Amino acid sequence: MHILRVNGVTKRFGAFTAVDNVGFEVETGRIFGILGPNGAGKTTTIRMMNYITIPDEGEITIHGKPVGPATQPLIGYLPEERGLYKKMKVGEHLVYLARLKGLSETQAKDRLRYWLERFEALDWIKKEVGELSKGMQQKVQFIATIVHDPDLYIFDEPFSGLDPINSELLKTVILELKAAGKTILFSTHRMEQVEQMCDDIVLYNEGRTILSGKVQDIKRSFGKNTVQLEFDGDAGFLDRLDGVRFQNRSNRFAEFTVDNESHIREILAQAVTAVEVTRFERVYPSLHEIFIQSVKNDRRHGLQ
Amino acid sequence: MDFNKIGLVLHREYMTRVRTKAFLISTLLAPIIMIALIGIPVLLSFLDTDKARVIGVDDRTGTVFARLLEQDSTRYRQLDPAPADSFRAMVLDGRLNGYLTITDAHLADSAAVEFLSDGTGGLSLFSDVRADVRAALRDERLRRADVSEQVKAILAQRTEMVSRKVTLEGEEEQDTLGLFAVGYIMTFIIYGAMFGYGAIIMRGVIEEKSNRIVEVITSSVRPFELLMGKVLGVGAVGLTQFTLWAVSSALIMAVAGMVMGGAATPDAAQSAEAVQAAADSGFSMPTIGIGLWVAFVLFFLGGYLIYSALFAAVGSAVDNETETQQLMLPITLPIIIPLLLIGPIASDPNSNLAVVASMIPFFAPMLMPLRLAMTDVPIWQVATVAVLIIGTFAGLIWTAARIYRVGILMYGKKAGFREMARWIRYS
Repeated sequence: MHILRVNGVTKRFGAFTAVDNVGFEVETGRIFGILGPNGAGKTTTIRMMNYITIPDEGEITIHGKPVGPATQPLIGYLPEERGLYKKMKVGEHLVYLARLKGLSETQAKDRLRYWLERFEALDWIKKEVGELSKGMQQKVQFIATIVHDPDLYIFDEPFSGLDPINSELLKTVILELKAAGKTILFSTHRMEQVEQMCDDIVLYNEGRTILSGKVQDIKRSFGKNTVQLEFDGDAGFLDRLDGVRFQNRSNRFAEFTVDNESHIREILAQAVTAVEVTRFERVYPSLHEIFIQSVKNDRRHGLQ
Repeated sequence: MDFNKIGLVLHREYMTRVRTKAFLISTLLAPIIMIALIGIPVLLSFLDTDKARVIGVDDRTGTVFARLLEQDSTRYRQLDPAPADSFRAMVLDGRLNGYLTITDAHLADSAAVEFLSDGTGGLSLFSDVRADVRAALRDERLRRADVSEQVKAILAQRTEMVSRKVTLEGEEEQDTLGLFAVGYIMTFIIYGAMFGYGAIIMRGVIEEKSNRIVEVITSSVRPFELLMGKVLGVGAVGLTQFTLWAVSSALIMAVAGMVMGGAATPDAAQSAEAVQAAADSGFSMPTIGIGLWVAFVLFFLGGYLIYSALFAAVGSAVDNETETQQLMLPITLPIIIPLLLIGPIASDPNSNLAVVASMIPFFAPMLMPLRLAMTDVPIWQVATVAVLIIGTFAGLIWTAARIYRVGILMYGKKAGFREMARWIRYS
């Protein structure tokens, strides 16, 4: 079941094409990552999903219906550029945002009570937003995003600017929402979070999607071209290896990608003669590596 | 369009503003400032007469000085015959503020009297002395010509003129100066309101951008609905404030009228007519018909709506208030031009210039109330301008909303006019 479908969507700003014929689907109950370098078109796509801007071509549907005022309450959106009215009281502010999402005043108050309690923020209800610390404001912002109990959550760079405690909290909330059968879509630059949390991803570059699918499938398609090596001894031999790119290296550990998988045997042989190998493992490349390689390749093709 | 959401936005804009200290203070202070603006010139004109200035008179005729004393018993002092240099010295060392030399030549023909002064006292001293000298010379000439008391009485007589307007019901009193004052005050209030409330809208838009809340809001509300709710909400704040002012100033005026009713003297009115015209009206306010009040409120609303849309568009194109200067020009010009037209329109409120200028939608909110106060404006003109204002507002809010919906999501760079024009064309 798809909750969200992006179909042949293009968005231009004057002569600049921000999103160029993009299409993908997001399955219900999964965590979906939108990745890509800055300015690749992620936020523009996300804004179109939220009906903040409208595609020039193509269509976005949620539960099969084209996005519009009727689909906005189905989404809980945490934008990258986010903030609150500093002069409003926390309680009023949250009620206001919840009512804009279609909740009645009493509904909104009931739900807020639950979430404020859950986030240990019930005392703030009468405080002005401006009096709260930055971390507290971030919590209020989460509550505003989820209070209307939508089916789909869209978080644009949710972890940027969060302190470690709120970062953990958001992660917990995201996993809880998933457990409750909700769908979460988020964009991020932090690949380790994608590795930990995402089921599916789409990778943007220059307005187009250059990769999409299940994380496991994508990794598999790149093959086990990556080696993790642990050793005792002089690390100098690593410099003499040809056709490898290091992701990580230290005095006792190295992780590198091999251009040609048939060279792996030779590399193992070289390692064994030079140092004492305690672990030698072929693994799928990290998403970090996939990200960098795919974007680089795409740019190279773009130039030709 | 979702009117429920517009209502929610309107409610928030209204409540968060009405509850602030700034609202309370500005609501309380504005009538006080208004009263001060009207009252202080009057008070000053009384204070000013208290300041005695001593004018020496070198009277070579032997008779004119007595006539001058009849005009003002304290101001003039007779000087013993002496060379002009010693009079100059007296002025320079401050014993005199000025001196006149009056000879028989002045009585015989209309040779100019020279008034040498230390330069203080300004226009009012000069005009007072001139009036006194004219009267004194005239009286002395009449005395020397041995004119009968009867003729003197005839010459001293002043004819008043009262203007009355012919209407279907008969005639009614018309106090042209008072009506001008009413229209003038209305024009200035609307002028202030358009700048004041327009700036509130602009600041509100900039605040939402710099708070980074606008994207959260627009994920629930269309930018047009947000803009509309904001414009209407601040408009409601304006109406509330106006109502409070109207009630409180009516009360204050009534009290002030009772206390100071008899105080304004005709003398004072001559010296500073324009200021005085406004000042007098406070104490002899012509009755303002309910129709004019209604028109005033409606033109205030119309002007506010037109300019608030423009202010909102400017606010959405910048990141902070200091960047608005250049973009403000197209807004401030059409607000200021009507001020320059007040004079010509007041002197003939039915001239072609007056009719045309008061029917330009950008000027009408300020100029039409002025004309309505001073003359009977044909109903078709009012109706036409009302339609034009509504049409202009519709066009502007549509355009502003298109700039707004792009601008509010642009951070970190200030847009120029060309960029804003491009935004209008985005789908």
